[in-house]
Amino acid sequence: MSSTLRNIVVIVTLTLMVVGLAVVLTVGGFGFSLPPHNVRALATIFLNTTLNLDANYRYVSAMSPEAVTAIVWDYRGLDTLFETSVMFIAIVGALAISRGATEKLLKTSPPVLGMSLITKTITRITIVMILAVGASIALHGHLTPGGGFQGGATIAVVPMLLIIIFSIYLFSKMITIYKAVTLRSVGLIGIALSSFIVLIIAALYGGSAYIFQNQPKLHSHYGLPSYAEPILLGGTLLFFNVFETLAVAFGFAALFILFTIPEDAVKSAIMGEE
Amino acid sequence: MLYYLLMALSSLLSIPAIYLAVEERDLVKAVIFSAVQSTLYAFLYYLLMAPDIFLTYIPVGVGLYTALILILIKKTERYESD
Repeated sequence: MSSTLRNIVVIVTLTLMVVGLAVVLTVGGFGFSLPPHNVRALATIFLNTTLNLDANYRYVSAMSPEAVTAIVWDYRGLDTLFETSVMFIAIVGALAISRGATEKLLKTSPPVLGMSLITKTITRITIVMILAVGASIALHGHLTPGGGFQGGATIAVVPMLLIIIFSIYLFSKMITIYKAVTLRSVGLIGIALSSFIVLIIAALYGGSAYIFQNQPKLHSHYGLPSYAEPILLGGTLLFFNVFETLAVAFGFAALFILFTIPEDAVKSAIMGEE
Repeated sequence: MLYYLLMALSSLLSIPAIYLAVEERDLVKAVIFSAVQSTLYAFLYYLLMAPDIFLTYIPVGVGLYTALILILIKKTERYESD
């Protein structure tokens, strides 16, 4: 009883503190205001250069209506590449520790698998919806909010549902961890190739280009088409989004398989046969 | 005006959720409080006109993170001891 009272007192105190701090900040009581007024200048630069058909901006513009995707894969493409690689290396490390555990899993199979028939039927329906939403978020990433990571994370909910509701034994018969990691590697290789694609095109024409170049720049007039009459293509952004979706979705799938392998299977794989 | 009211409401409601998630001894309940806080933050990002963050926050913060922690709790212990 006294702990409930204490919780209420603490929550009320915290709420009052936050409200007080917010009021003081709003009226500028600390001598500054958040966000600072000059942050608008940065937004103006991005709005001017993200999609600008004006001839003066032709060699600066990213030619994509979606500012966030343009920033993630064009303005700071190399950063995003390394972010994706960090997760890849983490999964490789986890895989190295528990190697051989999935083969053991496939040999054993308990008699009762997964949850009830009702949950299984509902999951079969919802999985299709989740896949459709994830694909639309990813493939429209260069036009509307969303992109490779968002779409991939949405699709990654599907393997999680399959593992929990249909059991890890059935799921690892469908997709083994090696298949998941292979498809993730395909995604990563695709991202690497997409970052060189304009350079390769330029080399074929005897010119030169930058790594991660998307649209024509001042000293290298090569680039992928950004605008085919009725639709916006976004140049390399579409490729990046597709391959990033593949990489993120199967990266999460591999992680979920690793986490849900029963403990004794992992232990016997690490310790070896006795 | 309505946007600001909803923003204030969701950020104020997230305070008890955060406090209870930290304080709770039953880790499954703590994860649920954390998921409530994630949902409120996702709405906050949507109201702040950051739909990209919103689309990342919903599957990661509410779906994947919660499920991952629940799996890990199942493999370890449910109740936090003193």
